[in-house]
Amino acid sequence: MTLFPRENLVHKSMVILSSNYASSGFEAKAGKDNVSEQAFQGPVVDVERISLEFTKERDQLPVLADISMTALQDQFVSITGPSGCGKSSLLRIIAGLHKTTSGIVKFKGTEITQPRSEIAMIFQNFVLLPWRTALENVTFALSAKRELSEDEKRERAMKMLDHVGLKGFENVFPGELSGGMKQRVGIARALALEPEVLLMDEPFSSLDDLTAGLLRKEVYSLLINPSSSIQAVIMVSHNVEEVVELSDKVVVLSQRPAHVVGEMDITLPRPRERKSPDFYTWMDKIYSLLA
Amino acid sequence: MTSFSLFEIFLDLAYSWTRMFIALLLSILFSLTVGILAARNKRAEAIIVPLLDVFQSIPILGFFPIVILGVIAIIPSQIGVDLSVILLIFTSLAWNITFGVYEAVKSIPHDYIELSLMPDVGAWRRITNLYIPASISRIAYNTETSWAVGLFYLISSEILTLGKSSYTVTHGIGVAIITFASANDWTGYTYSIISLLVAVVVWQFVFLREFALWSERYKFVEEPRGARHDPLMRFYSWMTHKSISKLFLYSHSRGVTKFSSTFYRFKDGIKYSIVILLAIFIAFELGALWNLNIGLPTHLPSVASIFSTEKNVIVALAYSFVRIWYVYFFCVMVGVPLGIGVSLNSKLYDGLTPVIETIASVPAPALLPAIALVTHQGELVAAIIIFLGMIWYIVFNVMAGIRSLPAELFELRSIFHISRVQAWRDIYLPAAATAFVSGSIVAIGAAWNTLIVAEFFIVSGSTPITQVQAGIGKTIALATNQGDLLSLTLAVLSMTALIVTFNLVVWRRVYHYTTKRYAYNR
Repeated sequence: MTLFPRENLVHKSMVILSSNYASSGFEAKAGKDNVSEQAFQGPVVDVERISLEFTKERDQLPVLADISMTALQDQFVSITGPSGCGKSSLLRIIAGLHKTTSGIVKFKGTEITQPRSEIAMIFQNFVLLPWRTALENVTFALSAKRELSEDEKRERAMKMLDHVGLKGFENVFPGELSGGMKQRVGIARALALEPEVLLMDEPFSSLDDLTAGLLRKEVYSLLINPSSSIQAVIMVSHNVEEVVELSDKVVVLSQRPAHVVGEMDITLPRPRERKSPDFYTWMDKIYSLLA
Repeated sequence: MTSFSLFEIFLDLAYSWTRMFIALLLSILFSLTVGILAARNKRAEAIIVPLLDVFQSIPILGFFPIVILGVIAIIPSQIGVDLSVILLIFTSLAWNITFGVYEAVKSIPHDYIELSLMPDVGAWRRITNLYIPASISRIAYNTETSWAVGLFYLISSEILTLGKSSYTVTHGIGVAIITFASANDWTGYTYSIISLLVAVVVWQFVFLREFALWSERYKFVEEPRGARHDPLMRFYSWMTHKSISKLFLYSHSRGVTKFSSTFYRFKDGIKYSIVILLAIFIAFELGALWNLNIGLPTHLPSVASIFSTEKNVIVALAYSFVRIWYVYFFCVMVGVPLGIGVSLNSKLYDGLTPVIETIASVPAPALLPAIALVTHQGELVAAIIIFLGMIWYIVFNVMAGIRSLPAELFELRSIFHISRVQAWRDIYLPAAATAFVSGSIVAIGAAWNTLIVAEFFIVSGSTPITQVQAGIGKTIALATNQGDLLSLTLAVLSMTALIVTFNLVVWRRVYHYTTKRYAYNR
């Protein structure tokens, strides 16, 4: 894995991305996205007064209480809060996997009632199929794309694996990959769908500190850049440091039943230096909301 | 039914449960003695663990006729009969519980052991204050899970002793079931089956569950149990896990169990099985010699008669082998879709699991008379009994396997909009593969055990209710009825040899391949 010097990170990967995609008709896609961006002005994802209750042995357990939040165009939004507060449930509601007790979630103005092809997800524990190679895991995600031929799916999957730095590992089974590499396959799988919204459920917390740090440094420019289809990222994380490092906006939840205790736009310039005093100031702000 | 008969049935249940309970107490005493010894003494460990291992993988039911012949020879009375029934139940409970105690004592945190080695703590205090308390939760856990298998052996042994009038169990729920059936009293038969079911469920709540709950306080650490808190389902998957690790202990590639190191000297699996078989054979020859004085067989068999008997045994084995495998095929066709389908839907799972568990807790032999009433085709009856003895291992293992996987794996289907057909092919079936193979190994093992009832069944000297043309179970049953010790010994030994060889040559490879390729570890 090559690491670019930080200052040049965004710029260089942009160059690489556009050269990668030059021959594959990706520009046309990007152009189309621009049209839809202009057509829709509101938030990409709009969570409107969501509540969620579980029924356990005839008791109603409130999990989420009246939560509202938005993810705007090109925004990286993080949801953080104490463990077990229902962060992952909230993310799954946005994904269309869970139903709410009340309230709705909108994707570009339309209510989300079931998983949509414009919304992809990255999991804490990668959730790759162990019986499929890295490449097959990516093409698996493209199964439902009937407009693509098998060759096109394969080609796109190869490109995505290359894009996340896994060139040469296409035919390796997940069991033989390290944790960091597995999550790279997970990212490639999500990106291959060319989603407009990317949901990430604790994407770095199964990785050791060093691997997580390296991946975090790359991930922002991987996801948000001019040639990417992604218009908004929503990440669930309990790690305040990674929240400050990556997010444009952070939504802090309380203990169960979770409600929003604070919402902040993190205005630190990128790339963000984890050892800088400003960085710590932002971390302290979030910690004070959590405490 | 009159209230008098119901009282009789109740009495029979009491007899059966007393046998079970005595066997359980004996098993616990045995497990504490042997398990603690094996865990704390290296030399004892090297002998006990391999021995337990062998005892676990032999088809116990096949040996029962030999056991009963032996015990009756020593104690020729009703007590002898009861003793051999208890002995059989004991052999179905004891090894599991002993392994539990062994592992529990082995895994006591080291600090506690060091604390107990302080000079003023004597050996007895160490046992009563540390080793026994540390074992209690595992004993309770293993008791709860082994009870169903004990029940199967209880019913089978009560039924099996009916063959010869000189040694007959006079009371017991198994006896009641068969007596009603042979008297064509189907009301009484139904009542006794239902009573058995009620007793199983009640016992589960008044004793087994209470015992398990009480034992929780003796746990060193909380173990997450996930979706596996249904006792019977847990039993099937746990039993499978145990047997699998026993079978493949002596393979180097995977550390299936913690204590596999004791087996490293048995590098060659074949050598291992030959040594065991030889030991068993010598034991039985000695037994035969000893029986000579009692007067059961009048002479030691000649080499020629050994060969001609063995020839019949091999033919019978071939029949049974084919029979088991075609029934297995049907089990797979039903069990895998059922197991996966039920596990995928939480509502279906919660609703159906208790129902399936109750059905599964009826020992297959108890149903035999009813099945034989419907069809007189011996082959069909045998197939159904084998099917019933086998399918639950596949169903419950597949269920436990699917339920132990993270929910996210199944979310993939909705997130990527995968079609139902593709989801089965690419997610569900591969995800169930390891659990399915483990379940299959144990299911086939269980099938060999049911043969002795399934292939030939006779009640008190009359013509058999059901029989197949040929089969190893029939050979064993006939040999028992006729007191033909040579056929009996050869049949049981050949069956054991076939099972052990097949496990080593075929299952072991399949198992390793599947765990390597299909095991879900993130």
